[in-house]
Amino acid sequence: MAVLEITGLTKIFGSGRLEVRALDKVSLAIQAGELAALMGPSGSGKTTLLLCISLILEPTAGSVVFDGETIYQDGWTGLDVRRRRREKIGFVFQAANLIPFLTARENVLFPLNLVGLDKKAAERRVRELLDYMEIAERSHYLPALLSGGEQQRVAIARALANRPKLILADEPTASLDTARGQKVMEMLKKIARENQTAVITVTHDARMIEGFDQIYHLEDGRLKNQV
Amino acid sequence: MDLAIRDLKLHKGRFLATIIGVGMLFTIVLTMNGIYRGNISDGIAIIAHTGPDLWVVERDRGGPFNEQSSMSEFFHYSVAAVPGVQKASPFIYYPVERQIKGESRRFSIIGYDVFGGMGGPRQLTQGRAINQAHYEMVAHAKLGLKLGDQVPLGLHTFTVVGLTREAVATDGEALVYLSLADAQEILFQRDNEAIRNQRLRLRHSLTQEGLSPAQADKLLPAVQPDTHLVNAILVQLAPGANPAQVAKHIEDWLYFSVFTTAQEIQLVIRGRLARMSSQLLFFRVLLLIVSAVIISLVIYTFTMEKIRSIAVMKLIGAPNLVIVRMIMEQSLFMTLSSFLLGLLIIHSIVHLFPRKILLLPPDTLLTFAVALLGGIIASVLGIWQVLKTEPAMALGGQ
Repeated sequence: MAVLEITGLTKIFGSGRLEVRALDKVSLAIQAGELAALMGPSGSGKTTLLLCISLILEPTAGSVVFDGETIYQDGWTGLDVRRRRREKIGFVFQAANLIPFLTARENVLFPLNLVGLDKKAAERRVRELLDYMEIAERSHYLPALLSGGEQQRVAIARALANRPKLILADEPTASLDTARGQKVMEMLKKIARENQTAVITVTHDARMIEGFDQIYHLEDGRLKNQV
Repeated sequence: MDLAIRDLKLHKGRFLATIIGVGMLFTIVLTMNGIYRGNISDGIAIIAHTGPDLWVVERDRGGPFNEQSSMSEFFHYSVAAVPGVQKASPFIYYPVERQIKGESRRFSIIGYDVFGGMGGPRQLTQGRAINQAHYEMVAHAKLGLKLGDQVPLGLHTFTVVGLTREAVATDGEALVYLSLADAQEILFQRDNEAIRNQRLRLRHSLTQEGLSPAQADKLLPAVQPDTHLVNAILVQLAPGANPAQVAKHIEDWLYFSVFTTAQEIQLVIRGRLARMSSQLLFFRVLLLIVSAVIISLVIYTFTMEKIRSIAVMKLIGAPNLVIVRMIMEQSLFMTLSSFLLGLLIIHSIVHLFPRKILLLPPDTLLTFAVALLGGIIASVLGIWQVLKTEPAMALGGQ
């Protein structure tokens, strides 16, 4: 079963002469454990598509089915989208976007607290994730004291905290050098394979998506080709 | 996990600076409360401690504390004869500024009938009450006098026989208790040279009117100014007497104004203390608004600085309540800490003020409640910013 299935997704900003069609009848489907990349030039609609998939931005038309639930069908269906984001989607950003006043450990703990996991289980999960991301020894550091690569590993650990069905990564390697960027991409691949988590990555860098299952090219809001 | 505390720990320098600044403002607010209560307490202390059943004063005057009242001493015999009156005592209250131990000091003189009359000090911290008709005084400890000190006042020198801390003058200054006769002499008796000059002037006026020098000399004592004056007559009612009836009787038949002690206190509170009270109230409100505005701006700045983190929190699904709680907690924590600091400061320095600062728990509680409300209002700006933050901001879009 597809984790995410979008059909005829259209997003129009403004109206009349000022109308901008950011997405035009985009359709795609991502299966569990699949790695997909969204590529395209600036202004092609990648971020808009990512926002719609993140259940943040309301599309103008089309449908979004996420984990078997219809979230959007020419309008929100009334499901609690924030809860779905909290429980089923993990986010990795261009900059790590860690909460600066929380330590690495607390940043990973935060989404677990939001879903109400009991303290012991949450601590166990945090330790497990920080070990998995090989950052356990820096768990008590504030983000400002971590390197860019370390921050990004903590951000991935945070994204994985609630065992999400889908990870959305917005240019996760953009602020890293090539070696660190590749390491992050390797981790995302490992996560997808081992945890059966679907991963959608927006990227400009073709070198980073080696081994991805699907590559979508967006241009002027339309999916041009699918590899 | 307490987000508010974690964030404050990261910015503890700025947080502490804000607490110190706002804490100082709260110190001023609490000091204003204390000054206000202290002024009222001082303003009515002499009335409450004297505490007769009735105060008889000059007709249509709010005396003797709210305004001047002057009447002949001998009327206390007339008042004593009114049915329902058990005792009537003459009373003088007069603020002066005189030299004491080479320093110019402000204080108020109380003259009372030292042989069984009302109006004297009830509690002494040292020494004894006045038991001679002349040249003894009981002074408030504020004046810094010791037992046995000799104090020249007017034409005579007085010996300090007792010290008290019981009451102060309505302006918060010290009180000096004297016998009625001594007080009258100090306040109304001119020195010999002035008397001689006045006598010569009067004699000259009378001879100009056609009187012979011998006739003028005979008339002179009759036209000398009267020094047997008092400011009020204190009344103690007979058991079972109706104060209103006695007061009406005195007003109708002796042509004076009469107040109970409670009325006399209200006269002072609504009179000379009223404008100062509203002045202090206005100032206190202003300071509380300033405190709320400062906290509000600090919270708003704190919020704006972590707007991206807030967007991230929203994106990963944090309910608004979690974020709003963080802002609200910071605001309340800041308000509470500042208030406690203010309270600590005022209680540490209260004894350094030259005038009485009366800190009453209900005032402090009320100020705390208002400050807390201000803290909640102060967080509104930050909360509004949180609510309108788009989670999309975390993705660098929108």
